[in-house]
Amino acid sequence: MSLYLYDGSFDGLLTAIFECFADRCEPIDIVNEEIYQASLLEDLRPVQTDTTKAERVIKGIDARSDGVGGELVYQLFLSELAGIELRIYRLVRLLVRQNDPNILENFANPDVLYSAQVKKMISREVHRMHAFVRFQKADNDIYYAVISPDFNVIPLIGDHFQRRYADQPWVIFDTRRHYGLYYDVNNLSFIDASSDILSFATVNAAVNSSLDGLEDQYQQLWKQYFQSVTIQERRNIKLHLRHMPRRYWKYLIEKQVGRK
Amino acid sequence: MSRTLEKLTILSGAAKYDASCSSSGSKRANHNKGLGNSDGMGICHSYTEDGRCVSLLKILFTNHCIYDCAYCVSRRSNDVRRAAFTVEEVVDLTINFYRRNYIEGLFLSSGIFKSADYTMERLVRVAKTLRQQHNFNGYIHLKAIPGASPELLHEAGLYSDRLSVNIEIPSEVSLKKVAPEKNYPDIITPMNYLSDEKDRYKDEKKHIRKTPLFLPAGQSTQLIVGASPESDLQILNLADGLYKQQRLKRVYYSGYVPIATDNRVPVLKAPPLVRENRVYQADWLLRFYHFSVDEIVSEAHPNLDLEVDPKVSYALRHPEKFPVDINKADYEMILRVPGIGVKSAMKIVKSRVHQRLNLDHLQRMGVALKRARFFITCPGSQYQHKDYEAGRLRQMILSSESVARQTPQLSLFG
Repeated sequence: MSLYLYDGSFDGLLTAIFECFADRCEPIDIVNEEIYQASLLEDLRPVQTDTTKAERVIKGIDARSDGVGGELVYQLFLSELAGIELRIYRLVRLLVRQNDPNILENFANPDVLYSAQVKKMISREVHRMHAFVRFQKADNDIYYAVISPDFNVIPLIGDHFQRRYADQPWVIFDTRRHYGLYYDVNNLSFIDASSDILSFATVNAAVNSSLDGLEDQYQQLWKQYFQSVTIQERRNIKLHLRHMPRRYWKYLIEKQVGRK
Repeated sequence: MSRTLEKLTILSGAAKYDASCSSSGSKRANHNKGLGNSDGMGICHSYTEDGRCVSLLKILFTNHCIYDCAYCVSRRSNDVRRAAFTVEEVVDLTINFYRRNYIEGLFLSSGIFKSADYTMERLVRVAKTLRQQHNFNGYIHLKAIPGASPELLHEAGLYSDRLSVNIEIPSEVSLKKVAPEKNYPDIITPMNYLSDEKDRYKDEKKHIRKTPLFLPAGQSTQLIVGASPESDLQILNLADGLYKQQRLKRVYYSGYVPIATDNRVPVLKAPPLVRENRVYQADWLLRFYHFSVDEIVSEAHPNLDLEVDPKVSYALRHPEKFPVDINKADYEMILRVPGIGVKSAMKIVKSRVHQRLNLDHLQRMGVALKRARFFITCPGSQYQHKDYEAGRLRQMILSSESVARQTPQLSLFG
């Protein structure tokens, strides 16, 4: 019984799972070494990330799940939920032991049900980003959006926005995780706060100054539209909040009041 | 700018009574670096303070109207400020809202100015400009104006994703009373024409791959609930016919908002929101739960029960069909259990292949046991249904659910 330490990357986690199987060992836990709090009692097993091993694990998962397990496991990983590593390990173990893709549809199994629930949470957050991202056009003609999603969904939303906004350059920046996406009308790439193309300051600045000349006008029009489509006789704030929780408001133009 | 702002205020304010909000069901892929992409999934970009979703820029082209329909805020005799957009203004707003990810596309309706064709021609021109000049692949929903020529309707079908003609008043007798210039044939004719055209394109597509899209998201309509005396039975029969004969994708129901002080329509203190909600639930039973109208309402019970949802109401009227054995009953019957939705029913059917399901499993899967427990058997359930007659069971269900949870809209008006 060992506690496996990995470097916090997805490949690192997959390598750790590989080692668990290689060691024929039930892990006590699999923990990101950056957040691990040392304790003398545990048998520590640090893992060296190895992309070859990681790839073998993903192939194994896909082979036993009609090709859906790899993506599922990746999404679970992006949830960043406490203890998700061990949950992922257990799901992989289930797939290996049962060797039946349909096992992922046995919702009476607690590990399967938990994965389905987390996957649903992730999908909902991805969908919310599709809905709640608000671009602001800057004077350099790039459209900027700032987000701070509950889960690490940046890797999951690029395709959608690339297909949709194929003809305009845009940036979506996650201020909680300090990285984001940049699309230059040809390629989509990850950027971090120190990126040459766009520093974090630039992203912030786009919100305060150096906006395109017409940006403010369209924001005012949108706010006015949002106001005038409400039917006062049907006001229902509880329902409003259920669909649009307050934590998303700070980036929604239509919920910003005051600035005229 | 200030002029556009004023127009937008007037013309979105007048369009808000159309309940249609859907932006789903249309696949329109982005080619050659155009703007926008529809992949079939609708997205609600915002929610108004009345809790309805904002998916499309929903506006009237103009609120000038030659008609005088009692239920409509834009009726000729109503003293309101009037405005009209230009084609360019609508195109510019759509593009710029879309680029900022405010909307999925455009919902363009209009008052009838001059004539049906004159109005329809303007709407078509907006859609055509968006598609052809701006390579726009977002969602476009246009109104099909009753009485517009087939040529214009055909063109509208080529550039838009969905067309709708609103019936509004759920019987011709009532329609005559409140909207003297309108009649059912004028409404049903364009629906039938569009439905036939869509079929024709579908057939053609089988032989010629490059056949253009025609109305990929189909048609919808709206019925106003509570502005005229029709029963829920009449309303649901009408809707059912529209789904089957005109093959509409959606029928929207709009609880009548007492906007008019016109003596042809009733004076209500508040919109009949609970009834509207029940009609939607019944509509869902028709479309996703394989119910037929006569299982939901009948001549003996022409109106939906406002206290319990239509599925509970069905179960109480049919004690002989319950309890349902979770581990044995077929999917159709599991779908009929109050408290079990389509997703839970699928989960149950898939999971029970692997193991016997008990009450605890159902709870974890998300079944609303508060309602379901009275109608099922499985290991762990204390089935007691036999001991209660329908009236008592009804009371137990009512008291086990807070009114606020069951019908959220009540909490403000109760």
